[in-house]
Amino acid sequence: MQGWVDSLIRGWGYDPATWPWTQIIYLLFMGLFAFIVINFAAITAGIFSWAERRVAARMQSRVGPNRVGPAGFLQWVADAVKLLTKEDLVPAESDKILFRIAPYFMMVGFACVFVALPFSHRLVVADMNIGIFFILAVTALIVVGIIMSGWSSNSKWSLFGAIRSAAQIISYEIPAGMALMIPVLLAGTLSTQGIIRAQGGWPWQWFVFNNPATFAAFFIYFISALAEGNRTPFDLPEAESELVSGYNTEYSGMRFSYFFLVEWGNMWVMSALATTMFLGGWQIPGVSAAQLDAMTGGRAVLFELLSLGIFVAKTLFWVFVVMWLRWTLPRIRVDQMMNMCWKYLVPVSFIAVLFVAGWMLVVRAAPGLATAMHWIMFVGAGVIPAAFFVNRVARNIRDTGDRFDFTSNW
Amino acid sequence: MAETVTTARQTPGAFGAYVKNVRDTAKSFWEGMSVTLSYMFRKPITTQYPDRVPVPVRDTIPPRYRGFLEVDMDICTACQACERACPIAVINIDILKGDGKTTPKLRMERFDIDIGKCMYCGLCVEPCPTGAIQHTREFEGAVMHFNNLTLRFVPDPLVPAVPYKPPKGADAFPRKPLGEITRQLLAAWDAPPPPFPTKEQLEGSKGAAAHGKEKPAGLDPTAMGRTLAAKALQVKEDKPQLQKVLEEAMAGTDCGDCGYPDCKGYSTALAYGKDTSTEKCAPGGADTKAMLETILVSLKTGKLPDAPAAPTDGAPAPAEAKAPAAPAGDAPAGPPLAQTLPKDELFKHVLDAMAGTDCGDCEYPDCEGYAKGIVYEGQNDLDRCAPGGEDTRAKLFQIMLGTKPPPK
Repeated sequence: MQGWVDSLIRGWGYDPATWPWTQIIYLLFMGLFAFIVINFAAITAGIFSWAERRVAARMQSRVGPNRVGPAGFLQWVADAVKLLTKEDLVPAESDKILFRIAPYFMMVGFACVFVALPFSHRLVVADMNIGIFFILAVTALIVVGIIMSGWSSNSKWSLFGAIRSAAQIISYEIPAGMALMIPVLLAGTLSTQGIIRAQGGWPWQWFVFNNPATFAAFFIYFISALAEGNRTPFDLPEAESELVSGYNTEYSGMRFSYFFLVEWGNMWVMSALATTMFLGGWQIPGVSAAQLDAMTGGRAVLFELLSLGIFVAKTLFWVFVVMWLRWTLPRIRVDQMMNMCWKYLVPVSFIAVLFVAGWMLVVRAAPGLATAMHWIMFVGAGVIPAAFFVNRVARNIRDTGDRFDFTSNW
Repeated sequence: MAETVTTARQTPGAFGAYVKNVRDTAKSFWEGMSVTLSYMFRKPITTQYPDRVPVPVRDTIPPRYRGFLEVDMDICTACQACERACPIAVINIDILKGDGKTTPKLRMERFDIDIGKCMYCGLCVEPCPTGAIQHTREFEGAVMHFNNLTLRFVPDPLVPAVPYKPPKGADAFPRKPLGEITRQLLAAWDAPPPPFPTKEQLEGSKGAAAHGKEKPAGLDPTAMGRTLAAKALQVKEDKPQLQKVLEEAMAGTDCGDCGYPDCKGYSTALAYGKDTSTEKCAPGGADTKAMLETILVSLKTGKLPDAPAAPTDGAPAPAEAKAPAAPAGDAPAGPPLAQTLPKDELFKHVLDAMAGTDCGDCEYPDCEGYAKGIVYEGQNDLDRCAPGGEDTRAKLFQIMLGTKPPPK
């Protein structure tokens, strides 16, 4: 976005390198972008809270919140207003300063991710050359916030939840980091925009179908991201039946809602990152990134919106998958969670990195193999399983004598 | 999810178990997620109560459902069988008696059903001779004020309801469609709650002792105390009689607050001098205390305490109430009508004495049946006319035996 601000200053007839007000203008735009990004994060998190409840309800043959606004869409506004007006309680025996600031650590760690997350071809707050590294680094702030909230609450439930969460996040950072290494290897850059540009618009050009190791890496990343976001089936830190509510047990009102904001906002973050790294990001099928760069005027705006739409659609699909998983799988045990990480995801992710490194050498020697593998993976791991799955779902409905009905009883 | 890996010894190889776990995980994802997704694309079975239902919920529940009670006043015979059947006094009927010539013999000033207290047992529905009282299928009773839960089937006590005279031999009655009346009354439930009573009203109601035995309005405890004391002096030595007099001064709620099981226990203790405290009757309050004191003091001194300077209007009221309600003209003892009149004339008199509600409580099909039974078939039991109450009893005894009825 710096380039865009620079061109704006040039448009006013000044040279950004020498004009004395440049830094002030930068500061103003930084504030503006931060405002936009935080509001985007907060509003999407709110909307997801409504969407999750509707999805959960449908999957349980219920209706869900449908009274506030059309299809209950404004439910999240009502909830937010309610939470805002609640009393902000601080337990008498707590560490008051840490207790008060812990939610902000979570918020900061969460909001910083949006700095490097792309939205469309040109729309990214800062296309840093260390983008992925930055994202992995700032998400670690969330675990600091969780530990602080658990410790400062001075309650055994909170502390248990926080310790579990820390153990979980630190463990799953490893497979997540290794899985994200693979697109970095393939693209040769840490920049999020660069990684998207290294892929193509058509599904067989995405990194997920690049070779078997990237396919595995995508799922490893997705599972690890679920665990880092404390989402079911890895919601041990807030297991209601064991820990009341985990690290946020003692919180109420707006501070409590920050935790939930982060949890739901994290669904966007993990899905957007998966889209960026493995699923071709904002790439428009049939239009290359170079062609997009060359466009000007209304055509450029149109294609910019198209790329934004593609990115949002892919991301929302994976947000839906996250919700879908939550209402499908039971919570796993602590030992199962650790087994899964250290015995399965970590070794497989290491093997995948080695495989990709070797594969890149092979492809350099025989470029035809790469295209062949793209098609084999796309058809064998993408189209055929998807067709079987759709058939399976249709059979589940048909075999019980029910029928497909998505529109009634909203 | 990833189960604990079975040990290498039990399986062909540790690697085989490892791969099996991965395969099982993928398979359970596949199965589980196809099931949940399939439910996402089916119609939710939830019924969206109350506003998005195709027909009102009350119309979907079985016809014999026991919802709020409803009384069709147009076919109510004022027999009060339902009031007597109710085990928890939910139904309250106030009867206004007339002479049967210029005014109807019975009229209902009040027919209240406290839905907040009703336990929906249905015992009131069974004895109703015309099916006037029925359970509806109404059940939605959220109200602004608890008082609004009382259904008043006689809306204005100044316009008492005239009982229905069922045609002879009828076994079907023109009842309004079930639920219409109650629904109309329910519509009034949205009315704002009544204002809070003022301090004066609260104190006024406390003085009147709304619990227990009904006392005539404007009762003067001093006068009643004197009346009772006079009675007590007459039966000074007869302890069981004295106990009855003492019990009359009490509230009659059998609450047990005094430490005795009931009013009888307390009054017995007072009569036999085992207890001298007059303050134990909580429901009776200051009135009971004053009356008991008057009685005990006069028992001790052997004479009535000095009359108050100006006797109030209320003074003669209790004495009148005590007297049996036999018509004054019939009082001179003579041969009873039963011995002087021919049977057909006697039958008319007997039938006239009854309440005329054809309730069937007497175990005859209607009033005529009971009257025939008494006059022609030698029925000796003259106590059976429940709706007529004390009046009918007194008249029947006067006609048939020429005596006052024995106390119940």
